[in-house]
Amino acid sequence: MLIIACPYCGPRPELEFRYGGEAHVARPVDPSTLSDEDWGAFLYQRANPRGLHAERWRHVHGCGRFFNALRDTTTDFFAATYETGTPRPAGTPADGETSR
Amino acid sequence: MSGAFRLPSGGRIDRSRPVRFTFDGRDCRGFAGDTLASALLAEGRHLIGRSFKYHRPRGFLSAGSDEPNALVGVGRDEAHYTPNLRATQVELYDGLVAESQNRWPSLDLDVGGINNLLAPLLPAGFYYKTFMWPKKAWTSFYEPKIRAAAGLGRSPGAADADRYTQHYAHCEVLVVGGGPAGLAAALAASDSGQRVVLCDEQAEFGGSLLSERQAMIEGLPAAEWAGQAAAELAARANVTLLTRTTAFGYFPHNMIGLCERVTDHLGVADPRLPRERLWQLRAREVVICAGAHERPIVFPDNDRPGILLAEAGRTYVNRYAVQPGTRAVVFTATDSAYRAALDLRAAGIKVAAIADLRPEANGPWPTMARKAGIDVRTGTSVTGTSGRLRIRQAQLAPIRADGSVGTSEPVACDLLLMSGGFTPSVHLFSQSRGKLAWNANLGAYLPDVSVEAERSAGACRGVYGLEAVLADGFAQGAAAARAAGGTTSPVRGLAVKATDCGHDASSARRPTAAIACSPRPSSTGRTTSPPRTSSLPPARASSRSSTSSATRRPAWPPTRARPRT
Ligand SMILES: [Zn+2]
Repeated sequence: MLIIACPYCGPRPELEFRYGGEAHVARPVDPSTLSDEDWGAFLYQRANPRGLHAERWRHVHGCGRFFNALRDTTTDFFAATYETGTPRPAGTPADGETSR
Repeated sequence: MSGAFRLPSGGRIDRSRPVRFTFDGRDCRGFAGDTLASALLAEGRHLIGRSFKYHRPRGFLSAGSDEPNALVGVGRDEAHYTPNLRATQVELYDGLVAESQNRWPSLDLDVGGINNLLAPLLPAGFYYKTFMWPKKAWTSFYEPKIRAAAGLGRSPGAADADRYTQHYAHCEVLVVGGGPAGLAAALAASDSGQRVVLCDEQAEFGGSLLSERQAMIEGLPAAEWAGQAAAELAARANVTLLTRTTAFGYFPHNMIGLCERVTDHLGVADPRLPRERLWQLRAREVVICAGAHERPIVFPDNDRPGILLAEAGRTYVNRYAVQPGTRAVVFTATDSAYRAALDLRAAGIKVAAIADLRPEANGPWPTMARKAGIDVRTGTSVTGTSGRLRIRQAQLAPIRADGSVGTSEPVACDLLLMSGGFTPSVHLFSQSRGKLAWNANLGAYLPDVSVEAERSAGACRGVYGLEAVLADGFAQGAAAARAAGGTTSPVRGLAVKATDCGHDASSARRPTAAIACSPRPSSTGRTTSPPRTSSLPPARASSRSSTSSATRRPAWPPTRARPRT
């Protein structure tokens, strides 16, 4: 079972969390101006990298808040967790790179 | 009458507490501290099971959790019945009821044994569902008969009456395995004051130390030192000791699954206690001290009752004070089996010969064996065995310089100990997703790259020799405590008096070792059966692909390269 460090509560077991999909996906300001392709891409296309991945998690059985996490999809180790609305921590490798 | 093969003294059994139990309905006796296997061996019973398909007689091979043959069903009634327990792990208690499996009508007279005679008609890969015709007969006749003949064990006839609980726990350092390396690691790690958990699958800490006859640690016999180390650990408030506890799973982020058998060893247990307790333990650091498994040697008819691993023979003699035979042949590719031979001899068992696959053996133990007057034959292979329900003789043949095998000579024996070297137990390490690396010098895979916060110590990472194992245990235990944020005292050195066996073992890799592997007609001209392999699954894929590729071997008669099961 994974240990996930909620930025608000501290390290907690995986059981308390719910996965929230890829992080830093900005909703278009004016969707009506988008082409169908672009709107479809916003809705459905995700990175799915092998290696580090910035993603959202929600501490459902805890504080209830969303936060962001950098997880290596090959090892399940977390490089960092940080609050929603803050940018990806400086100095961490890009998506798809390995954390180790 | 009981215990005809029990030594008059010695062992770690409690002679003041005799125990009665039944095996296949027959009254037997043993002592507290026995396993079902050691008690049955003390009564002279080697035949314990039948092989899966050919119903070949099978006896005890090992003395621990690596036992492939001695599967029994245990339970006083259907609601407490558990099939497929290893007799080598079942602790004896008063009133224990055990039964053998996969035999009908009885172990000694097994009708299924006819499959062995029909072996040429039942090729490897033969499937019982071939009996499909006529269609109606499948459900009414074939299936019930075949189900009775095949399979291992039977399901209990009533719902489980026991209770099971679980427990979550945290610690800084978990040490898996309570042998010499594990005890040393736990001592070193707990010096830091951090929470340390030490678990071992056996009833008593000490591991291989419990089977030592001569080795001394700090002026104490090895087993006594183990007891003292365990007592020292028990006295520390920051240490949790778990006996009868198997670490069965390594889950992400150092979550370890432990199964603690709480009441299985008790005849009458407190009803408030659960039968088993599942521990889900989160450790900051893990030290794996899982030891090593002895390798069997593959030779024709190496599955007869009375053929044991050499270290198992040692364990039965030294730890359980049982004579597993009266006249032994030792077949080896390592020096450690010479130590076993001398231990047997000290227990009054005649060692008829030591057959060593290697062209020469001049280590300290072979030298001692020769000095003791044992017939040591180097460059010698066992080419076959005979005996129906127990080994009666072994065929010993010299290996010529060109690798061919000379004329074999029968040597009478009722016990054959074999040793093909040791394989580090890396299961838990591999489960933690660690990567292995081949070590040509040891002829074994060793832990290489760790993924989790874990480290191995002792024989499970290829460190052999008592002194080196203890030193490695201390070093790795201290390193784990430091990695978990603690400070440790300087690593202790222990005064060890033991003669090492030397495991650099080119032994098991020598080309001569392969000679023993190929089934061949014995000197008597009778074709011997293919050998049993180790408990590891046979390499099926290779034999299958060889027949389908360009070898142009006719499909019939079928190859018998695969082991009989
Ligand atoms: Zn939280």
